[in-house]
Amino acid sequence: MKARTGLLEVAGLSKQYGGQRGLTEVSFDVHPGEVLGIIGPNGAGKTTLLEAIAGMLPADAGRVLWQGAVLPASHRHEALYYLPDAVWPWHEQFVTRIVEFFAAAYGRSREQVAAVVRSVGLSSVLGKRISSLSKGFNRRLMLALALLTPQPFLLMDEPFDGFDLRQAREIMGVLREVTGRGRGLVLAIHQLMDAERVCDRFVLLADGRVRAVGTLDELRAQSAKASLEDIFLALT
Amino acid sequence: MRSPESVAPHRAPIRPLVMKEVREIVSGRALWTLLLILSPLVGYSFVQAVALYSEASSAARDAPVLASGLSPLDGVLVPSFGALYLAVTLLFPFVAIRALGHEKESGALRLLVQLPYAAPTLIAAKMAAIAIEWLVASVPVISVLLIWRLMGGHLNAPETLNLLLGHLLYGLLVGTIALFSSSISDSAATAAIVALAFTIGSWVLDFGLAGQTGWLEWISGLSLTQVLRSFEQGLLSLGLLLGVVAAIVAFAALAAVWLHPGVPARAKLIRSVAAVTTACGVLALAAQIKLSFDVSEDRRNSFPAADQRELAELRLPLVVTVRLAPEDPRYVDLRRNVLSKLERVLPHVTVRLATAGQSVVGSTNDESYGEVEYSYDGRSAKSRSTSHREVLPILYELAGKPIPTAVSGAEYPGYPLVARADLAFIWFLGMLPLLIGAAWWRSHHAPRIPAHLLNHGGPA
Repeated sequence: MKARTGLLEVAGLSKQYGGQRGLTEVSFDVHPGEVLGIIGPNGAGKTTLLEAIAGMLPADAGRVLWQGAVLPASHRHEALYYLPDAVWPWHEQFVTRIVEFFAAAYGRSREQVAAVVRSVGLSSVLGKRISSLSKGFNRRLMLALALLTPQPFLLMDEPFDGFDLRQAREIMGVLREVTGRGRGLVLAIHQLMDAERVCDRFVLLADGRVRAVGTLDELRAQSAKASLEDIFLALT
Repeated sequence: MRSPESVAPHRAPIRPLVMKEVREIVSGRALWTLLLILSPLVGYSFVQAVALYSEASSAARDAPVLASGLSPLDGVLVPSFGALYLAVTLLFPFVAIRALGHEKESGALRLLVQLPYAAPTLIAAKMAAIAIEWLVASVPVISVLLIWRLMGGHLNAPETLNLLLGHLLYGLLVGTIALFSSSISDSAATAAIVALAFTIGSWVLDFGLAGQTGWLEWISGLSLTQVLRSFEQGLLSLGLLLGVVAAIVAFAALAAVWLHPGVPARAKLIRSVAAVTTACGVLALAAQIKLSFDVSEDRRNSFPAADQRELAELRLPLVVTVRLAPEDPRYVDLRRNVLSKLERVLPHVTVRLATAGQSVVGSTNDESYGEVEYSYDGRSAKSRSTSHREVLPILYELAGKPIPTAVSGAEYPGYPLVARADLAFIWFLGMLPLLIGAAWWRSHHAPRIPAHLLNHGGPA
C-alpha cells in the first residue's frame, strides 16, 4: 500500500513558445514509491513538462512544491534527477569512466556501483567507447547513471525507447526494484502498452493540458473504456 | 523518507570532475591535431630564427657594439613562440570549445548540470582542463628552450619565464573566450565563429586602428594581441596582469551564467550585466596601476641605471607635447625609446599629441612639425630627437640636476651564437610527431575495468 501524501506537487505549470502554448496550467502530484506515467500523443508536451519540472526549462507560470513548500528551479536537482531522451553523452569516452565519474560524484561504494551495473546489464560494454554502443546499451548506460543518483524522484523521458519487449520487461523489473526502495518515478511514455505494464497512475496530456489523472481503474470509471488505449483515445 | 535536504549537503569531490574534463579533451582528435600542426610550425620558426640569429652573430663576432644588440629573446624565443601564438589564436579555440560545445550538442550538459556541482565549479573544472591542454600544446616551444640551451644558446630565466607567463595568460584568455562562446551557442560550429570573431577581430583592431588616438586608441587597446606585447618585450606590468586575469575571470563568470539551460534569459542578462560591470571596474582600476618590472636582461624598458636613479627623484609633473602624427615612425621611436620609459620611472608624466587628427602628409608644411616640447617646473625646452641620450640631458637641465655619471660594466654584452639548428628538424618533424601519435594512440586505449564491475553477468 502506497503512502497517499503528494511529496512532489506540480501546480499550474504553464509554458509558451513564441505565442504557442506548450503547457497550460498543468497540475498533479507524485507519491513516494509510485510510478507515475505521463502519456500523450506526439507533441502533447510530455518532454516540455518533464524539463519544466526538472528546472531545465524556465516555466512561464506555476510552481513545483516539495512537501507543500515551493521548490525553486535552482534547487530542483536536490529532489529530482531528470533523464532526457535522445541523449548520447560524452561519446568519445569509455563507459566505465563515465560510470565511475557519476559514482565518485555521489560517493557511491564499489558494491553499489557493481549492483547498478549488474542490474542494468552493462558489464559487457564497460570497456567500450560510448559512441560504439547500440541504442539499447546507451539507454542502459543512461539508466545506470540515473540509478547512481540519490534524488528521491527520477524523471525519465521515454525510458523504454530502444528496448525490445524482453529488454523492456527487464528494465521494468529494475524500475520496480527502485520504487520498492521508496524512490518515485515520473515516466513520459508514448507506448501505451509499456505504460499500462509499469505505471501505477497516469497523467493524460494532450495539447499541453491535463485531460485526466488517476489509476487505470479510476480512468476506466471516468471514460467507461476498458483498455488504456481506448481510454487514451476517449479522453485526449 | 528522503528529502531534498538529505541530498543538498553532499559535497562532491572536484578531482573526478576535472579528470572527466581532461579525458573529454584528450579522447578527442582536436588536441592531437593541434599538436601535430604545431610541432613542424614551431620547428620551422625555430630553425629559421636560429639561421638569422647566426647570420647576425657572424657579423657581430668581432664587434662588441653589434653583439650588444643580439638578444636571444628577440632573435630566437619570440619568433619561435610566434608559432604558438598563431596556433593558439586560430586553432586553440576549436580545442577549448570541445570542453563544453560537445556536451551542449549531445545533451550531456543536461546531465552534468544536475550533478552536485555549482555552475562556477563546472566552469572552473573546464578551465583547469583548458590550462592542462595549453601545457600540452606548449610542449613544442618548451622543447625549443631545451634545444637552444643544448646548442649553447643563452637563456635568461626571468625574461623567459615572463614570456611563458604571457603566452599562458593569452592561452587561458582565448580558452575562456571559447568556453564563453560555447556557453552562449547551441552548436560547436556557432561557438567557433564567435570565438574566432574575438581572436581574428583582434587582428582587425591591430591593423585597422594602429596609431590612432583618443577613443580609437582605447578601442585598439582591447585587442587580445596587446596581452602578449609587453611580455615579449620583457616587461611585467602589474596593471596588465590584473587586467588579463580580470578578463579571464569575467569570461569564465559569463560562461557560468549562461551554462544552465533552466535559468530564464532575463536572469542571465541581469547577471551578465553585473559580471561585465564588475569586470569593467577592475579593468579601469588595472589601467591606473603603473607599477611594472623590467625583467629583460638588456633592460630595454628602462634608462641606464644611473639615469633611472636620478629620474626617480623628479617628483613634479612633466608635460611632453609631441608635434608628430601617431603613425609617424619618429613618434613610434620616441615612444619606445623615451616616453614609455619616462612613464615607468616618473610618477607624473602627461604626453600630449599636438597634431591629433593630422596625418604625416598633411603636416609637411608645418615647420614646428617634429618638435617635442618638455615642460617641467615652469620651464620648457624643445627637441626633435627620439633618443634618450639627447632627451635626458634636456630634462636634467629643466630640473636643475647634474647629468649622472654612467655606471661602467653594466652594459648588456649580447649573446651572439653562430650555429645551425637543422638537426632540430629531426625532433620537430620526426620524433615529436611520433611521440604525439603514440600519446594519441595511448589515449584511445581501453581502460582497465575494475574487478568489482566484472563477472557479474546480468541481463543480456
